[in-house]
Amino acid sequence: MSIEKVLAKHEFEQWLYDEAKLIDEIDFDGWFNLMHTDLKYEMPVRVNKEGMERPDYSKEMFAFQDDIETMKMRVDRLKTDYAWAEMPPSRTRRFVSNVRVLEYVENEKAVVHSYLLIYRSRSTDIHHDLISGERQDEFTYVEGEWKLSKRFFIVDQTTLNTRNLAIFV
Amino acid sequence: MIETKTNVHLDEMSREEVANYLSETVRPEDGVIPAYIMGDENVNKLEHEKIFMKTWLLLGHESELPNKGDFITRDLAGYSVIVSRGQDGSLRAFYNMCTHRGMKLCRADKGNKGQFTCPYHGFTYKNSGELIGVPLQKDIYGGQLDMEKMSLHNVTLDTYKGLIFGTWNENPEPLLEFLGDFKWYLDIVVGRTEMEVIGPPQKFIVHSQWKIGSDNFVSDSYHTMVTHGSIAKLGMVPNAAYSKKGYQVHVKNGHGCNIGMPNPDFAFPEELIPEYKENLSSDQFELMSNVKNMIGTVFPNLSFLVSHTKVKGKLISNTTLRLWKPIAPDKMEVMTWFLVDKNASEDWKYRSRESYILTFSPSGIFEQDDTEVFTDITQAAAGTLPIVKNFNYNYTMGMHREPVKDFIGPGVVYPDKFTEAGSRNFYSYWLDMMKA
Ligand code: FES
Ligand SMILES: [Fe+2]
Repeated sequence: MSIEKVLAKHEFEQWLYDEAKLIDEIDFDGWFNLMHTDLKYEMPVRVNKEGMERPDYSKEMFAFQDDIETMKMRVDRLKTDYAWAEMPPSRTRRFVSNVRVLEYVENEKAVVHSYLLIYRSRSTDIHHDLISGERQDEFTYVEGEWKLSKRFFIVDQTTLNTRNLAIFV
Repeated sequence: MIETKTNVHLDEMSREEVANYLSETVRPEDGVIPAYIMGDENVNKLEHEKIFMKTWLLLGHESELPNKGDFITRDLAGYSVIVSRGQDGSLRAFYNMCTHRGMKLCRADKGNKGQFTCPYHGFTYKNSGELIGVPLQKDIYGGQLDMEKMSLHNVTLDTYKGLIFGTWNENPEPLLEFLGDFKWYLDIVVGRTEMEVIGPPQKFIVHSQWKIGSDNFVSDSYHTMVTHGSIAKLGMVPNAAYSKKGYQVHVKNGHGCNIGMPNPDFAFPEELIPEYKENLSSDQFELMSNVKNMIGTVFPNLSFLVSHTKVKGKLISNTTLRLWKPIAPDKMEVMTWFLVDKNASEDWKYRSRESYILTFSPSGIFEQDDTEVFTDITQAAAGTLPIVKNFNYNYTMGMHREPVKDFIGPGVVYPDKFTEAGSRNFYSYWLDMMKA
């Protein structure tokens, strides 16, 4: 691996770790600031296909399909006094791994894939939820910073074992 | 003083005794619903036998399998079934179990197949259910295997306006009679024009008793002000009290809905008005022209919703179905389908789906606050405490009200959505079934 690639990988690992820290610590404004205005944030519904047929997710139905405007609504809602689903917030821990930089144009754009495992615990509940999947991200460089312009999250369950997606993936 | 009956042990009672105990304690006519029915294992077991094995349950929508050979696999009362469209174009459903030695025949959610081959020993069935192939049959069975008797186990099936219902009951009340006057309202939701389901249904697990979902949709508009208070704050609906205006309807067999109206705006694509007029009576069309939302439940666990909100400054409606499928006394799988008017413009369809995902999908900003409440109610109803302490819920809201006589649609109708009449009706039919 060339030194440029090693540095790029390191750069995006740090970006993803910082992102995880912001949402795990419920800094939604801080998290929202990482988003590009052209954001496309999607999580398709995963399906059980016959045999090896791929892709095994729907191209028509999504658990999340947001742009910057609807994402802003979600974030604003969490700040009203009525967002019961996350009041008090879940304790979450986002584990990011298997980071791979697929495309990298310095100070311009990048395509980065990574694995994500979210641990979620609510209230006094002794159960916890685990959400696992792959993030396929695209980044755009704006005024000295990488912004997330596209996220496609492929979740590893066809039936989600969590009460809602009041948390971000 | 709370009456303490530490001697009540449902687990030691016969089914008949449980039913009798329910009769004594579940008193919808007085607005009294005991908390234990939301958590008790024995009640849950009896519900499975007396309700889920007996009534019509939703399996899906015809648009999910439009072509010959299309199939979907779904649960019917917790048992996997294959729904398939045969080469003759008609729909059939079977228990997803090989009649040889019980292997699950099909593991995909959907697909297109004229026949199914069992992964265990290779028995092959036509999509109409007949066993047509057994490897080495002549040799190993000496030609004695009576293949005609080994068809897949049949599920009783019927449809209404695209909705596919199945039941394990071989002699059910005909579907049209079971739905009764509720058809009038269902027509507006799923029969106003040709509707299509977009994509697969979304599924998620909630640690909640299934009845809480059905009950919430059958009569609880009251919670909207508080539980969904954030939505008014975002300006997606006019104000927190908007949810009170309108009517609440219930009919026999436990079905019921809430109709939010009036609405200064037409909630559906206007260019389809000629189609709506063709498919609906003029009274139904008049109601449809005025609705802001329609929220209801077809007994026992199918709920529907038409919701008209403002997304990105523009009004848009979405139509969804949801099933509250019990998997344990304190756990259900929620399954939601998004439906859209087939001949609507691509722009309308896109925006309608977007509003569904934003509001009522698993990430939906309405949906998520409901599931939080459902989970906590379930937790508080669990264990022996609710039964020994005789904890009851209060379902008396609106009991002082008289139904209106001049409403445009059928059923018992109240001129205000804030009443628990629909829930009282739901639980009284529930009780009838549990006693039957
Ligand atoms: S169990 Fe299906 S072929 Fe034997
Ligand atoms: Fe709700």
